[in-house]
Amino acid sequence: MSLPPASGTGRYFAKAAKSIRLIRQGCTNRPFFHISVTHRRRLNSQPVIEQLGSYDPMPNINNEKLVALNLERLKYWLGKGAHVSTPVSELLGLSGFFPIHPRTYMTAWRNRQQERENLAKQEAENAKEQTAAT
Amino acid sequence: MCSKILTLSNVLSRPMQLFFKPNATSNLKPNINVTSVACVSFFNKLPAEKLWKSVTSVSNAGAKKGRGKGAGRIRIRDLNRGQVIGTGKVNMLWPGLSAPVIRGRELLKQQKLPDDPERMEKLIKIRDSMTKFRRLKLSSIERGWSGSRMPGRSIGPPDPIGEDEFIGFDTKVLQLRSLLIMKGNLGRTRNYQAMVVTGNGQGLAGFGLGKAKEAPAALRKAKNRAGQKLMHFEIYNGHTIFHDFFTAFGKTKIFVQKKNEGYGLKCHRAIREICQAIGIKDIRAKLEGSNNLQHIVKAFFIGLLQQRTHKQLAEEKKLHLVEYRAENEYYPKVVASPTEVRTKDQIPRDETLHFVQYVMNDKVILRKKKFPPFYEKMPHYKIYLKKYEKYRNHEKIRQMLKVEYGDVKSFLNERFPEEKVEQSET
Amino acid sequence: MSLLLQKIATKHVKTLIIKYEPCVLVISNRKLNIVPSFYDGEQDPAPKFFTPNVQNLLKRLTRPDFTKVFRKRNNQGLHALKTPKYKFLTKEELELEIAKANEKADVLLQIPPVLKIHKPIDEVLSRDPALIGYDTSKYLFTDITFGIANEERIIIERDTDGTLRSCDHDIRKKLNQVYFPITGRKIREPHMFSDEEKFHNLLDRGEYEFVLDRACIQYEPDEPIFQKITSITYQHVDNNKCYNTLRSTRHFGSMTFYLTWHQSIDNLMLEIIQSGFIREAVLLAALRHDVHNDVREGTAAQSLAQEIFTTPLLLSKLERLTEEDIQLDSKCIQCIEKYIVSNSTIKSQHELALQGFKEDFQHLSELRKGLEKAHGNV
Repeated sequence: MSLPPASGTGRYFAKAAKSIRLIRQGCTNRPFFHISVTHRRRLNSQPVIEQLGSYDPMPNINNEKLVALNLERLKYWLGKGAHVSTPVSELLGLSGFFPIHPRTYMTAWRNRQQERENLAKQEAENAKEQTAAT
Repeated sequence: MCSKILTLSNVLSRPMQLFFKPNATSNLKPNINVTSVACVSFFNKLPAEKLWKSVTSVSNAGAKKGRGKGAGRIRIRDLNRGQVIGTGKVNMLWPGLSAPVIRGRELLKQQKLPDDPERMEKLIKIRDSMTKFRRLKLSSIERGWSGSRMPGRSIGPPDPIGEDEFIGFDTKVLQLRSLLIMKGNLGRTRNYQAMVVTGNGQGLAGFGLGKAKEAPAALRKAKNRAGQKLMHFEIYNGHTIFHDFFTAFGKTKIFVQKKNEGYGLKCHRAIREICQAIGIKDIRAKLEGSNNLQHIVKAFFIGLLQQRTHKQLAEEKKLHLVEYRAENEYYPKVVASPTEVRTKDQIPRDETLHFVQYVMNDKVILRKKKFPPFYEKMPHYKIYLKKYEKYRNHEKIRQMLKVEYGDVKSFLNERFPEEKVEQSET
Repeated sequence: MSLLLQKIATKHVKTLIIKYEPCVLVISNRKLNIVPSFYDGEQDPAPKFFTPNVQNLLKRLTRPDFTKVFRKRNNQGLHALKTPKYKFLTKEELELEIAKANEKADVLLQIPPVLKIHKPIDEVLSRDPALIGYDTSKYLFTDITFGIANEERIIIERDTDGTLRSCDHDIRKKLNQVYFPITGRKIREPHMFSDEEKFHNLLDRGEYEFVLDRACIQYEPDEPIFQKITSITYQHVDNNKCYNTLRSTRHFGSMTFYLTWHQSIDNLMLEIIQSGFIREAVLLAALRHDVHNDVREGTAAQSLAQEIFTTPLLLSKLERLTEEDIQLDSKCIQCIEKYIVSNSTIKSQHELALQGFKEDFQHLSELRKGLEKAHGNV
């Protein structure tokens, strides 16, 4: 094993600002994310301080997305004042650990609206076809 | 070169045609005037032996340089092979020569038969087959340690003594070598010395040394001598020795280890042959010091003879001997108990209680440190490891997918039909 | 010929007979026979099962033979055999080692727990209709905090309609296996359990221990499918009287408890008496009394069982009897006679078997008397 373990081997500076974010692992066409704590000014490609969980954005055979969270360590880093990135706080909001993130509501609302528009379009087309047929 | 030989062979095989070629058909008719022609040429002036020498010989200087050896060497061929008296280029029936005079009630007449177009090709094929040198070939079962040499080969059971036959015995040659002896009147003479081991694979075995002027005689002497010096060895559970042991003869030292079933014989080839003769199946032996074969054989036999059974060991130590096997979850199984057992207080403090140490007489096998392979320090190996990281689980996942879906595909293939499915090899 | 066939078929429980003149059609159908039964009634078997008395009875009834407990197995994870190791031991050290091995045997013979079927988890944590349309797939959240037991781990799901709820047992088990795998357990159900044909084939081949071992790894003891599989296997063993294949394994105790719980120990009792282990028959009667409290002389059997516990375990019939043996065995015979009268459903067979044992016992005790006389100890 030449690569560092996923649990994190990055250097740690006590006073530097920390951030909890999604870090893309996986490969081409197969995204997979680690939820990791790292320095705010550090690149995602660099070793992290600690891994706190994982998130698989591709639904599995039962149409489920799996999220793993190490809640104990998450609480620890939040207590240390770590910043949480938006996608992570969205996931934490869905899990009930945080309040639901506003962007989640926005996305839901937009999706619903989109669907409604699509439906309306579909109905209009159907009506047009019917009138053309008669 | 080949064409040259062919023309030569034509001439040699049919010298008569040289004389009669101009009127070959007319010579059948009687009362014909034949004028003799003095037909002397290079080919019929000299005997075949000299002709061949002229083709195959190499000059003295060339021979010194090593010419005329190896792959391109020309060999003398017997051109008469494959030829039959009475048959030639023209297929004639000669009664009394190539056919009987009377067949049934019919008197056979001299006549021409249809030509055999493949006759010449067959002859050439036979001659070509003579060009290559062939070593004596043995089947893989008969073969010994190396090629067609004797060591490692089986020479059958020893000769019966009177009524007693050696049933189930087999003899293996361990060594066959020539010795040179200086004699007062004869000068340097050659003697053969053979060492063999014979055994029935069920505990009985013996080795013998024989000397004679000829190799087969030496082998026979050694074999019969081995048959008269049989020793019996007990085999533990029918597959291995009772315990590890150290044994030595002269400068030869052997460390022998007991092994589990199915381990095999990992030792010197001579020791392997001896074990097979005795019937030992699993053993490991490490040789140190001199690898003189006769010393190895003698040392190994001495070691086997000095083995102690578990009962003897327990009696010597006056302690229970307990066996632990991994396949039985290390359940303590008492293999031998003494008639009276010592207590903890009766054991002196400096006594060797470790089983292996005790049976090896406090000898320790030299275990050399294993160094990592040289390439692990090189930069390319790190690059390789980094690249391999991506593929480390691919084989496992392929296998799992094949188990689950019968092919390298997943449920996602149905969702994205445009993706190509990799076909499995089968 | 057809009449004989019909007779055989009617005797054999596994066959279904359709009478149609003039021919008789016999259809063999083993699937009709065994109906799985669960521990799902009003009563919970766990408190009874875990009492020390019942545990002791079950362990004693297992009749552990150490050559079988520590035998060579195919699934030990040893890819090659190892060279055996040897030690010189004094008597005290040997006793210590054997005591250690006995502890190991206890681990190997630990009886799989018998529990009531678990209740489904249906706990809604919150509802948020404003989240409808956020995603088309569910989100499953698992707490992977170090050092939490699998049963107590927080595993929750966010449905597409915005409901946050605790996951049910099957999803919990799957996610626990994803993040904290148990070796040997598969996320997908093995074919030997999901495919009825394969499962029955295994049972017909008598691979009971393999089936039960695999079921113990694959399922939790309070899962319905575990109880279904084990109950079918136990019944199969009971019908074919292959008790000896499960003796000296950890599953014999579970099977005995299962048979006792479902009031069907008659075949087992018959086998025990026929093979001449009268003391074990008393233990079985005591177990029945412990579980159901319905044996008339139950307390006597229980006190006799306590007496039997003090005697060494017997792996085969005794060749010679001592005075204590004779006394204990005659007490046992009396106890079993009473049991047969009060509780047996196949009285005649039991009595016949007991009669056989009595004759044997009589013969041995006479031999003993004769020996005493010969030695002049009368």
